[in-house]
Amino acid sequence: MDLQRVVQVLATLVCVAGIIGAVIVARTRFRSLRPADSISLGVVTLSTVAFYKLLAFAGLAAAPAAAMVLANYHTFEGTHEVRACNGCHVMRPMVVDLMDPGSDTLAARHAKNKWIPQDQCYGCHSDYGLSGSMAAKAEGFRHLVRYTTGFYTEPIRFRGHFDNANCFKCHAGTEAFESRKSHQDVRQRLASNDVSCTNCHGWAHPTRAARTPGSADYARLMQNVLGKSRTQ
Amino acid sequence: MRELRSEAWGALLAFAITLAFNLWPRNPYLMGAFTFVAQPLFVLAAASYLWKVAVTLRG
Repeated sequence: MDLQRVVQVLATLVCVAGIIGAVIVARTRFRSLRPADSISLGVVTLSTVAFYKLLAFAGLAAAPAAAMVLANYHTFEGTHEVRACNGCHVMRPMVVDLMDPGSDTLAARHAKNKWIPQDQCYGCHSDYGLSGSMAAKAEGFRHLVRYTTGFYTEPIRFRGHFDNANCFKCHAGTEAFESRKSHQDVRQRLASNDVSCTNCHGWAHPTRAARTPGSADYARLMQNVLGKSRTQ
Repeated sequence: MRELRSEAWGALLAFAITLAFNLWPRNPYLMGAFTFVAQPLFVLAAASYLWKVAVTLRG
């Protein structure tokens, strides 16, 4: 059983227990509880007041904290997967192209040649280090707001600036990269992002024209190649 | 101890959203509901509960 499944099972148990606890707390009249009454829990006997106070703490503080921690695993770690990106239909063209063995885009070449064996989207679209990853997550929240509220138009456009450091983290220092005179000539400009790697190495994803609804490629690019989704 | 009905119903709604998101974690709408509705609800319910506990302890 992988970690994601373990988290899912634990979070489900916590949520179900939290729902039961919250219902009991909502139906409890705390002012009418009598300290003299007691409840036996098998191994221990508590006064009803103590029992319902503990239940309120568990249902309104402890279980919510546990549920948030567990569910945020999906928000922070689960979104590294290509399947997570595929959940938003506007990302389908990139994922379809990524999985297409006949495509020669940068993303497809990195996937089919196993240069990035898994989590290809995150591999290129998150900068190294904590600050970079937090920035990527902040950008992800912005995307989430816009997608769920419908404030976007197709084809989507990359608003930011692709940092060449995402390429350098694998390519810098390699013989294939360093031995090229063309790389040496623009090394400083690549490092400062004055020149983009894609200037010479071609499109990373399908063009905006291909991703525009009604284009000849649109239907093919919108196929769900990763299985059934509940987002459409 | 004061009544905790509104806090409990708020937490209940948040648990239901969290449960749905946990079962379908790649659904962006459920992720949005968890991030922008359930988590604030959890925080508000817990803050209100702790406030009532503090008031009860002081009183």
